[in-house]
Amino acid sequence: MAIISVSGDPGCAHEDLARAIAQRTGCELVTRSELEEMIAADFGNQQIPDRAWPPLLRSAIGRLAVNRHVVYSLEGGERLFHGFPGVLCVLLIASPARRIGAVMVDRQVDREAARRFLRQREIEVLAECKRRFGRGHSRLHEFDLILNDHQQSPEMLASVVEAAIQSRGLLEQGTLSAAAEAQVQFLARLQLAKFGLTPPDRAPAERNGFGHPTEEIFARLLDFYRIEWQYEPRSFPLQWDKDGHVMEAFTPDFFLPAFDLYVELTTMKQALVTKKNRKIRLLRTIYPHVNIQVFYQKDIQDLIVKYELAERASAH
Amino acid sequence: MNSPNAPPPIERVLFTAEQIDARVREVAAQISADFAGRELKLVAVLKGSVFFLTALARHITVPLRVDFLAISHFTNQPGAPGVVRIAKDLDDAIEGEHVLLVEDIVDTGFTTRYLLQNLAGRGPASLGLCTLLDRTSRRIARTPINYSCFEIPDRFVVGFGLDHKQLYRNLDCIAVIRPE
Repeated sequence: MAIISVSGDPGCAHEDLARAIAQRTGCELVTRSELEEMIAADFGNQQIPDRAWPPLLRSAIGRLAVNRHVVYSLEGGERLFHGFPGVLCVLLIASPARRIGAVMVDRQVDREAARRFLRQREIEVLAECKRRFGRGHSRLHEFDLILNDHQQSPEMLASVVEAAIQSRGLLEQGTLSAAAEAQVQFLARLQLAKFGLTPPDRAPAERNGFGHPTEEIFARLLDFYRIEWQYEPRSFPLQWDKDGHVMEAFTPDFFLPAFDLYVELTTMKQALVTKKNRKIRLLRTIYPHVNIQVFYQKDIQDLIVKYELAERASAH
Repeated sequence: MNSPNAPPPIERVLFTAEQIDARVREVAAQISADFAGRELKLVAVLKGSVFFLTALARHITVPLRVDFLAISHFTNQPGAPGVVRIAKDLDDAIEGEHVLLVEDIVDTGFTTRYLLQNLAGRGPASLGLCTLLDRTSRRIARTPINYSCFEIPDRFVVGFGLDHKQLYRNLDCIAVIRPE
């Protein structure tokens, strides 16, 4: 199996690196928010003690790793599978100037505000790691590979990680065997038992079954620009009967956590979108805090023309 | 491939050459005022931004340098690069310099966000964005735009550097083309 953990200080492009590694190697990218959603789906609103997070994350990643190679980016993630065979732990470091620059652009703030934000994030991450793992700082000897992103793109860095994966033959060794996964789950159950938590036997881990080819192209476009996305992560109830049962709901196609934005693609002809437009209006009325961007058939056609998806790539 | 003698499939002209010239002069004057007493570096993205860059640079009155970069483009073809990368990097470092990224159009914001992130990591003294066209209706990646010449509707446009299948960059106006 291959389980690739990618860590980095706040402001490092470690999530971009994880995405680039997934692109190059065919490993499946699992984001922090996806893992948290898996755990929320298993345990609902149940309060999760901090120290229960490591075995819960191990259990969730272990279930995914049964039928795919996995790359994840998570603060302190290198500690989850320490000592397991088939695991590669990568640390991405960057100069303070580079990290501050990244925050300036991401948050559209000046240098001083970015510096303050970064400091605050560092404190929060350290505190969270300490609560969850018992210590804040990572230990360098727990990493297999330490990379400096100075003047190197995530794509270049991903090629280094890919070489490390190949040299260890991680992808050739197959995914996590049933016996190994059972061991992971057994240990997780043992550790979780003291918190009164029981993980499910198997996760319904099939994901990303796109409803339309356009959605798959859009997902690839987001991957190309290293933008994290989730496919149909949430349904919004729009109408209820007198007993409170949901009569009508709307499920946007994508959620982009970096922009706190839902995106709905519609390939229907403009004349036929009235019903969908009504739903979107209702959604905006009932959930005014939810940001949603709608791409109509014409927008999608323009994207197809712009990127010449029917033929070849172009420079616009 | 269109016939060499076929007229451009223009539906309507959005901005004439005169309107573009007048607006570019206004924006250049604003940039000159904002950067008075400082030296500026204009960074343009190949290929579409070149026409705008040259028009803009001619009317900016502060000392300036220009540099160019190019990025890989998205394609849905098998075997194509999976993620965006710099295809042609800047010739010189920008550390400590006042940099203005010059774009032909900001649409979804994907490309611009990537470029700004990339440039910000190189330690410029300041980093801004100037675009000829701003199409806000399809914006996904929120992008701070310091200078914008025109906001345009949700239509596919060509001219003044913008192409369709590499054609029509040399039109002196900005026009909506008829869908094929």
